[in-house]
Amino acid sequence: MRTRLRRQLLPYILVSPLLVFIVALSFVPTVDTTVEAFFRVMPLDPPTAFTGVGNFRALFDNPAIVTSWVNTAVYVAIGVVASVVLGTAIAVALRRRFRFRGIMLALVILPWALPSVVEAVIWSWIYNPTFGVLNSALKSLHAIGGYHVWLGLDRWLTIALIEIVQVWQITPLSALIIMAALQSIPPDLYEAARVDGAGALSSFRRISLPLIRPAVAVAAVEALVLSLNIFDQVYILNGIAPLGSSVMLQTYVTTFEDLNFGGGYALSLLVTAATALASMAMLALLYRRTEAAVT
Amino acid sequence: MTADSQAETRLTRAADSAAARRFARALSRRPARALGRVITLAVILLWSLFPIYWALNTSLTTLSAADSTPARYVPSPLVGTSYKSVFGIGGASQDGISSQLGRSLLNSAVESGGAMILTVVIAVFAAYAFARLQFRFKRTIFVSVLATLLLPAYATLIPLYRIMASLGLVNTYIAVILVYTSGFLPLAIWILYNYFNSIPRELEEAAFVDGASPMRALLRVVVPVAMPGIAAAAIIAFLLGWAQFLFPLVLTTDLSTQPVTVIVAALNQQRIVPFTLMMACGVLAAAVPGVLALILNRYIVEGVTAGSVK
Repeated sequence: MRTRLRRQLLPYILVSPLLVFIVALSFVPTVDTTVEAFFRVMPLDPPTAFTGVGNFRALFDNPAIVTSWVNTAVYVAIGVVASVVLGTAIAVALRRRFRFRGIMLALVILPWALPSVVEAVIWSWIYNPTFGVLNSALKSLHAIGGYHVWLGLDRWLTIALIEIVQVWQITPLSALIIMAALQSIPPDLYEAARVDGAGALSSFRRISLPLIRPAVAVAAVEALVLSLNIFDQVYILNGIAPLGSSVMLQTYVTTFEDLNFGGGYALSLLVTAATALASMAMLALLYRRTEAAVT
Repeated sequence: MTADSQAETRLTRAADSAAARRFARALSRRPARALGRVITLAVILLWSLFPIYWALNTSLTTLSAADSTPARYVPSPLVGTSYKSVFGIGGASQDGISSQLGRSLLNSAVESGGAMILTVVIAVFAAYAFARLQFRFKRTIFVSVLATLLLPAYATLIPLYRIMASLGLVNTYIAVILVYTSGFLPLAIWILYNYFNSIPRELEEAAFVDGASPMRALLRVVVPVAMPGIAAAAIIAFLLGWAQFLFPLVLTTDLSTQPVTVIVAALNQQRIVPFTLMMACGVLAAAVPGVLALILNRYIVEGVTAGSVK
């Protein structure tokens, strides 16, 4: 009798620590963010009071925050496209067995495994206007006449160069996901296409691409969430200047430097909603299961 | 022409052209192809490794050599002064960098190691329940846990800070470890759930026949077989923990708990630490995850792609 009861209770005992963590540290905070976004919360200037959409209105009256929204959209656009395209290229190059493939894979993964703060510090040295290797290399190749200040002058150039640092970090993730999908395609399909006279490019377009589409969708959504959240690279390479600021950086500044918690909550809620909507849209757009692509 | 003979002609032609192409490739295109392939791989390696090499290069030379124009692509002269200075060997360490870096590396190890252990233990039990046992609300719980994977840091950052502040846990290892664990659990669950599902049930059933309880079967039969999956979840949790910046920036306030990412960012912000020293700090901050990733990359590949193909 006792063992039967224990057996029935076992699953609940096994999942309860997980539930405690997820409920206390994910669900409750998310609900809290949703509610508090509609309150005036200033830890140094109480009282806390209901303001309706007051926080949201204030956000859109703040030019620095409006700028950061546009910037983040650009970060996301560059991040998703570049990491998926590069990831697919790397996946195609590394999908088949060859000597040193194991070592290649280990080295390609490396940028993903290192802390983005450290990577951003390294890239800030690469972009350095007086001694940076980017200037030096481009000058040696005669691509530029003189040394440039890369960051902080032109808005779109600054954003692109900062996003490259993130793309460098997250591309291995896309490459691994897409490579796994490529490897699951039966080799017979390529053999059949080859017999039919299809070249490498057309068999990639007609066999690989349709079959890796779900993996591309997964990689794109991962890149989307990561680039919408871009913070570390912006913090190191742009500081808190509005020029290249991201929404996450503005959330941090609003909350922990201006100590306007209500504004931070409202901003957080908007981005959470935007993330959810954009991920679903991306999945709907790309995620179509293709059972038999070869006809 | 009949359909049959048409098909036959097409087959012959296909076989001919395939054979011809194979021959042509063997004859002339192989060197070109091999060269193209080597170039492709070299470009991929250059893209992946150059920034890391550049940090090593700068950290291993003198400041005047690092500041030379045009840049020197190999460390000449090759010196270890930056590392000596970061470790405080042979004279004054600049601005106490050695004590800051040493302590923050320890903090990073405690925080990401603690989160790794807690994440894996909790996830093994829960993932086993999801993969093997029947209980009410299983699907609802499973889906809502996985849904938090898509929850951006935005959604929880401020409330987590306030929760920890109200519990008096700001600037403690506990706060950092708890927050990391809550963030890493969904991914660990996903990896382990997929791994458990790939293990044949017969293994446990044999143990049940011998009179083992499900708990015993999990610990004695499933866990040893699932070690690659558990290793994947553990290494990924550790790497994610080591890389965290925004949460510890908010949750830690001094050197007693600040991880190495926060210290490196602070040193960088001072704008007075020379780049040779900054790169040495960066290399040291990246050394642990870098070496782990190189040794254990098989498990990372396994974990990152878990379930993504299905």
